[in-house]
Amino acid sequence: MSNNKIDILNVVESKLGSKVQIQPGHLSTGSIIANNGLHREVLKAMIEADEKTGIIAISGLDLGENLGVYYHFRTSNALVTIKTEVPKTNPIIQTIIDLHPGAAFHELEVTDLLGVIFEGNKPEGHFVLSEYWPQGVYPLRKDVKANEIKLSPPQETNKPAEDPRQVKIIIGPQHPALLEPEKFSVTVDGETVTKVEPRIGYVHRGIEKASESRTYLQDVYLVERICGICNSIHAAAFVEAVEKIIKVDIPPRAKYLRIVALELNRLHSHLLTLGHAGLEIGYETLFQYFWRDREPIMDLIELTSGNRVYSSLMAVGGVRRDIRAEDIPKIKSVLKTLRGQLPFYRQIYTDEPTLRLRMKDVGVLSRKDALALSVVGPVARGSGVDIDVRKDEPYEAYAEIPFKEIVYKDGDTWSRMNVRMDEVEESINIIEYVVDHLPSGPIRLNLPRSVPAGEAVNRVEAPRGELFYYVKANGTDKPDRVKVRTPTFANLPSFLKTAIGESIADVPANFVSLDPCFSCTDR
Amino acid sequence: MTDTKTWARIKSPWVLHFNSGACNGCDIEIVALLTPKYDVERFGVKLEPSPRHADVLLVTGCVTQQCAERLKRIYDQMPQPKFVVAIGACACSGGVFEGNYNVLGGVDKVIPVTAYIPGCPPRPEAILDGVVKLLNALNPPKQKKSSKQVEAPKEETKTIIEEAKPIVKQ
Repeated sequence: MSNNKIDILNVVESKLGSKVQIQPGHLSTGSIIANNGLHREVLKAMIEADEKTGIIAISGLDLGENLGVYYHFRTSNALVTIKTEVPKTNPIIQTIIDLHPGAAFHELEVTDLLGVIFEGNKPEGHFVLSEYWPQGVYPLRKDVKANEIKLSPPQETNKPAEDPRQVKIIIGPQHPALLEPEKFSVTVDGETVTKVEPRIGYVHRGIEKASESRTYLQDVYLVERICGICNSIHAAAFVEAVEKIIKVDIPPRAKYLRIVALELNRLHSHLLTLGHAGLEIGYETLFQYFWRDREPIMDLIELTSGNRVYSSLMAVGGVRRDIRAEDIPKIKSVLKTLRGQLPFYRQIYTDEPTLRLRMKDVGVLSRKDALALSVVGPVARGSGVDIDVRKDEPYEAYAEIPFKEIVYKDGDTWSRMNVRMDEVEESINIIEYVVDHLPSGPIRLNLPRSVPAGEAVNRVEAPRGELFYYVKANGTDKPDRVKVRTPTFANLPSFLKTAIGESIADVPANFVSLDPCFSCTDR
Repeated sequence: MTDTKTWARIKSPWVLHFNSGACNGCDIEIVALLTPKYDVERFGVKLEPSPRHADVLLVTGCVTQQCAERLKRIYDQMPQPKFVVAIGACACSGGVFEGNYNVLGGVDKVIPVTAYIPGCPPRPEAILDGVVKLLNALNPPKQKKSSKQVEAPKEETKTIIEEAKPIVKQ
């Protein structure tokens, strides 16, 4: 937590006074109702007061007559939501990208899925939806039914003539360097990248809409399947948000068991990325080594949860399975073996000249840009921005567990990979501490299936960074709205910035250092 | 000549992986197959980046509307004979995402599928088993066979292929 504590709500109140309505304690730190364009004034005041003010997400809601646009911001010690509403008949609101460039993609997503027009940030074509999507149909509006949508052929657009010196290289949707379908049009002048245009949405499955038609019990499984890599974290973030609405505190043993699942997820995800980076720079041996050492971690996930990939351990009110006492020595011995391997990998990352050549000073993201683009997780920590939800706003039992926050200053690909390398060791420490200090007691509370009306925000630290959930309940057994902002979505703009001016050959290494995961990005 | 072709096909099938909107669960398990613990290369299976060189198309995911057209195009680019393996519950039927607005639900809605491997995600062993069964199905049966049978394994083979008849005719 930051030493110089700024009371951001006081700052806003002293600047804007009675023009806005402040509700302290609502939605984490507090929410501010600011209609008629005042959201820009609030944001200006916040950015002036705290340089770490960054956008987390923009939740678009269908409130009946009006459309709600909720801006969720983080500061160095708070999470503030600015609530605005626009009429459905004329859903126009002023953009904030001139104040905070990191908001660009968030705004485009709300435009595409809910039909709110942000003045000054007009999309060209669809952002996440298919090009065959009918005009004027916005899937997140309540009156749109999933099975009644009729697709129409895409409209022809006149593309401007291109400079013949500029060559466009299309990466994706099917490409050896990408495991997932996504398209990047990279414009190059000679070997130098001059422009990157992403086209996301190939993995858009409409999970946010689908979660509204399923019960909370089913939604745990659904949100878990947003991402096959960091699945426990998605489930944990969702059930914690629901627990916040119910206002219930889960048993201490359940909190510790959740941490084991979350850190095992982080371990296997980081090992996966560290290996994948080796593959992208043509160092396949490193890839095979890392993935060899990742398999025992997958076995541990299976041992503790019963399944290799989808642990389905999280439930509203606790966890489903306990760790048996006789399994703890097995967990410790696997972690000890992995710890023994780490010096070897660290030596490769620090001493191996090929690896340094491909990663040092590649894709440099300065601290200033990292703050402006509001990146999260290892990407931010590689650029010297010390944000880690586990430290900033401890959830579960992270406040009781000693661990270090890893920060590197250089902001290049090498720093980002080294953040992950050090975090592997921290994760091992955390799991070892947790299994040694497991409290006794029940692992799950029996809670009713219906959730009282209310809303909650929750953020957790996924392997790729801060994962954010906004859940709104309406008193039934199905949620009214679930908004998910994944860390990869927040980190994507940084790639578009750092790739420019670099050699086309450095694009894969730079890209993989963000730990891309498009199933998260698109949802 | 046919014997030689079949032999070559079985001994070194080149596979192409396409993610049609999967959650990465199945995809990572496919990559795990290539790594030391499972090491699928000992069966001669090689992951191939280009559809034009591939024999087997491994498809994961529930087929989103944007991917459907690309999936069809990739299938068309593959040379004959070609085989499609749908990996995971989503690829088989849409899985947990069935009925969502952007999801077609199942690879067989777009291209014919030779083999289905269910699971969410299927274990690497299951994927390995499915691929090996597919290869065994190409193996000529004891009686006299024609080249046509090799190209489109249908009735004679007693494997999962039998249950998994393609919905769209080639």
